Amino acid sequence: MMFPETLRQLTWVLLTLLSHYRRHPGQSAFMAIGLLTGVALWSSVQLINDHAKASYGEADQLLGAESAYWIRNPDGGGIPVEEYISLRLQGFAQVYPVVESRVLTTSGEVIPIIAVDLLALPPAAYGSGGMANSPLAGDSWLPFIQPGYQSWYSAELAERLNILPGDEVVLSNGRKMPPALIQSRSQQGFRAFMDIGAAFSVLAEENLSYLAVTALDDTTRAKLESTLPPNLRLVKNRQVLDLTQLTESLHTHLAAMGLLSFAVGLFIVFNAVRFSLLSRQGTFNTLREMGASVQVIGAAIILETIGWSLIGTVGGLMSGYVLSGVLLPTVAGTLQSLYGAIVESDIELGLNQMLLAWLMTLLGLVLALAGPLWHRLRMNVIEGRSGSLMWQQDERARMVMMWSSLPLFALALACFYRIETVVDGFVVLTLILFAAALVLPVSIQFVNSMVLNRLSRRNWKLRWAASDAFAQLPQLRVALMALLLTLTANIGVTTLVNSFRDALSNWLEIRLSADIYIQRTVGNIDTLAVTDGSEWRIASHQRTGVSTRWRGRPAIVQGVDVSAPDIVDMQLPEQLSDASAPWASLSVDPQPILANEQVKHLGQVALGETVRLESAGQQYSYVIVGFFHDYGTPYYRFYLPSDVVKQRWQNVRSEGLALWVAPGMLEMAEQTLIEKGIDPGEWIRQADIKRVSLEIFDRTFQITAALNSLTLVVAGVALLAALLAVHQQRLPEYAHWYSLGVTFQEWFKLVAFPLLLMVMVTGLLAIPLGWVLSWMLVYKLNVVAFGWTMPLVWSWMPVMQLAMVTVMVVISALAIVALQVRRRLPVALKQLGGMGL
Amino acid sequence: MLLLVLAMCFAVSDLFAADNYQLLRSSPAGYAPVVPGKNIQFPRDHLPHSAFKIEWWYLTANLTDDSGGEYGVHWTLFRQSMSPDEPGDSWSNNQIWMAHAAISTPEGHLYEERFARGGIGQAGVQVNPEGAFSGWLDNWSLVGHSSAPVPGVLTFTVQDKRIELNLNAVTPWVLQGENGFSQKSEKGQASYYYSQPHISVVGSLIDAGSEIKLDGKAWLDREWSSQPLASDQPGWDWLSVHLDDGQALMVYRLRQVNGKHWYSGTLVSANGVSESLSAVDMIFKPIQQASVKIGGSAARNLPLHWQLELPGRGKQWIIKAPRPDHWLNTTFPYWEGPVKVIDAESGLSVGDGYLELTGY
Repeated sequence: MMFPETLRQLTWVLLTLLSHYRRHPGQSAFMAIGLLTGVALWSSVQLINDHAKASYGEADQLLGAESAYWIRNPDGGGIPVEEYISLRLQGFAQVYPVVESRVLTTSGEVIPIIAVDLLALPPAAYGSGGMANSPLAGDSWLPFIQPGYQSWYSAELAERLNILPGDEVVLSNGRKMPPALIQSRSQQGFRAFMDIGAAFSVLAEENLSYLAVTALDDTTRAKLESTLPPNLRLVKNRQVLDLTQLTESLHTHLAAMGLLSFAVGLFIVFNAVRFSLLSRQGTFNTLREMGASVQVIGAAIILETIGWSLIGTVGGLMSGYVLSGVLLPTVAGTLQSLYGAIVESDIELGLNQMLLAWLMTLLGLVLALAGPLWHRLRMNVIEGRSGSLMWQQDERARMVMMWSSLPLFALALACFYRIETVVDGFVVLTLILFAAALVLPVSIQFVNSMVLNRLSRRNWKLRWAASDAFAQLPQLRVALMALLLTLTANIGVTTLVNSFRDALSNWLEIRLSADIYIQRTVGNIDTLAVTDGSEWRIASHQRTGVSTRWRGRPAIVQGVDVSAPDIVDMQLPEQLSDASAPWASLSVDPQPILANEQVKHLGQVALGETVRLESAGQQYSYVIVGFFHDYGTPYYRFYLPSDVVKQRWQNVRSEGLALWVAPGMLEMAEQTLIEKGIDPGEWIRQADIKRVSLEIFDRTFQITAALNSLTLVVAGVALLAALLAVHQQRLPEYAHWYSLGVTFQEWFKLVAFPLLLMVMVTGLLAIPLGWVLSWMLVYKLNVVAFGWTMPLVWSWMPVMQLAMVTVMVVISALAIVALQVRRRLPVALKQLGGMGL
Repeated sequence: MLLLVLAMCFAVSDLFAADNYQLLRSSPAGYAPVVPGKNIQFPRDHLPHSAFKIEWWYLTANLTDDSGGEYGVHWTLFRQSMSPDEPGDSWSNNQIWMAHAAISTPEGHLYEERFARGGIGQAGVQVNPEGAFSGWLDNWSLVGHSSAPVPGVLTFTVQDKRIELNLNAVTPWVLQGENGFSQKSEKGQASYYYSQPHISVVGSLIDAGSEIKLDGKAWLDREWSSQPLASDQPGWDWLSVHLDDGQALMVYRLRQVNGKHWYSGTLVSANGVSESLSAVDMIFKPIQQASVKIGGSAARNLPLHWQLELPGRGKQWIIKAPRPDHWLNTTFPYWEGPVKVIDAESGLSVGDGYLELTGY
């Protein structure tokens, strides 16, 4: 009979505990907001990451069709339609044609294009769904393949380019894209999809970009390889593996930001819990006094925790799902422009993600809610009734925090020298940030005491205000710590992004010093490279290249003209001391080579060491005489003189032609190009290419900015929640002040001054911490993750902006609190009278 | 051969639209009409008629190997105009090609379906520079020894099996219906239709390096139209047979929703003299249904057992499909496979043929 009795007791205890939230809907709201925002931000990033990673698994598909191999023309010149037809006539129905290119609109937007022949997709390419997956299912394909044609844009791409259904986008070459349809095929990504006939007409092109091939058995593969004309190669599609590898760092970055948001969300919960504890102190004691056992109250707390975790998970996942849909286009855009990864917009919420979210929430809650509750519960009943204990306890807590920060700092320092992966880097960062957060309360106390000591005894109002900080600090402590983390992250990440933008823009300035860039597909590029005495031409640089693999990853070997202005002016962050002209010794063996920084940092090769590259079945050694910056590329890249590349590799492709034009003669140069049969649109001006590069960059960091702002909002909410609770709790005290003759204005100054002081200390501490964070991100994490180095560019502007935003957030919170207090003060006064004080 | 008239319509014109039958009701405006009295001429009419909406070259064959094992082959090439305009060049060509190939062996049934657009050389029908008829899609081809498709060579692969058949015929082409004008309904839908029913076949099936010699008989149909079917016809049943006495027979019924099906047929003597058959000349009705797997775990009941009578000639046969598993789960799914012709009186096998069932 004991069991039903205990159960009944548990029910009553639980109901009693939960009644608190009914009486204090504000606190319930903040608990819910904390949980929901934390889980939502974390799960949205988690969903995006999972979704993107799942998409890489489909990278052996092309627009939903299997593409296990590619047939390419290694010289980059494309594949004549006749060669493709010849393969089909020989029975290789596994082969289908693809055209991929980019076009420039008159408004300066770049649109990637992908085109296939729907009718040629082999049935095996539809996958296990058979004919149901056939692109010929439905009736939308007929106008798609007929003259007049259609361009399909995904909703996200159409929105970005501001394209409406039926629009015929005008291109810089004067041609028009076929009428727009806001519709997309699987794996279309941020590309316009059209029929090959349409693409040929838009691009004024006659050759296919490459042929895709479905999975082949060994015999067919060998037969196909032996059938291919000498200019074509069958290559395995290794995208699945490559993309997973190449994008790993980016996803770790995102995951770290998601976790930061989650942590900040938990701070709100932590706060809310503290106040719900304070408010329920009496309830606990009464329950204990009435004979409820610690076990029963403990069980009720567990149930409450589970309840909150379910609310947090369900609400957080739902909001996270919506948020991920909003953030995904940005991430997908980044993945496509940086890595060529196609990520679709249909995020799915799986059971695994739900379980993981619930476990995370539960874990967070156990930390934030159950722990302190339990601690409070175990306090002796008398102790629990004592009010002054809080102050003493808080002082003790501040010291404990400060001392516990020391091992964290020490650990961070120890780990710092062993950073090898992005995860290592984030561990060190987390340790530093949390250690710093633990030091914050003591720092505030220190500054506050200093202010107090400096104030003369006559200045009693200010002294009172400064002393009031000690009354506010215990409750605001956690919110201020959350604010510190947010401000630090904000400053750090903003500095990283600004440094990167600065480095990129300087680098583009040198790398893109030519005035006109002609696309590599232009047929008569050789004739253009020849100096013909035109007065407008100052210099030209015809780059060549071959794709290869080095250390299991895609690599590009580029043949460059060592006397071209962009190579002569190239700034090498690192080069051999005697290699002021690394190209001087062409005939030396091993041949000198320049490598991008990725080779150094990701490939772990030092200056002066040799690398081996395969060409024409032979391994050649090259000694690295310098490293160059190569921002934005995930691949290894090597520079060799054009002659060497031409000599050692077959099928070297043209990488386009750069032309330096005499000042003021750009139009004359362009006129000459037209006369030579080159279409406008087949070249791009320096200004355009720079603008486009920076636009891609900005888009890449949109998600960073978005997560940054969202986290700041969460921290603002945390602060508001804390303030509201503090002042709600102190209402009787304020009533007392009021009865002693303190006016509302005086009250406002009394509470606002210490708050601003505390926020100021937090903000000031965030500046050096932000610098440390940005230093870590720029010099450590970025290098480990992407292999890029850049100088840290510190700017006070974003710090000032952030300070202004923070002050506005604090003032808004104060204003809300002031209104609340003003509204509730009369009631508090009445209660004061009733208590007979 | 009426055959996949609809398949072409469904598969290649406004393919798989929500209401397929609505498409069939649509007027053939702009395309050339099928009218009686047209003079069919060879070799001209072996080649495509792009002014008409759809067209096909359709071959079925009943073959045996050296040890008496029975094989069936079915190969089709369809052409569809996407618009009534001139075909156009290269990638802007408005012709679409679809081909089906199937092999029925004692071990099972294999088939494939392919599509190609016109204008780029991947598929087409033409007289090649050597003056020979040539119809192809990818590496599937029917190449004549002259400007006619027969005599000629049919070559195709299905999965890892390769078929190569030498086709020969000495009897004249048979003009179906009224001198090649073949009416399909009372509402005027019609096609131009001619056949070669007496094709002798010698060839081989090459499977993983081993070669199986085959010989037997084949039937080639040629048909083109701009509106092949009436709105109240959900599908059709078509049969062609080679009788042991040297005669060949083709019958079909276009099923009408009101139950008054449209019947037509042709009886061809061993020397190629043909005689048209209409509804009053024949009884052609299913007598038993069989469950046929149509992909995955799904199955469908199909009439694979028929009664065929020519009362005026005192002939009565039972038509049986010995291998029910010949469902083609292609873009437009249908059943097509070899059948046995059994004399209803003696119960003896008196011929072989091919049966096609659509719209089920």
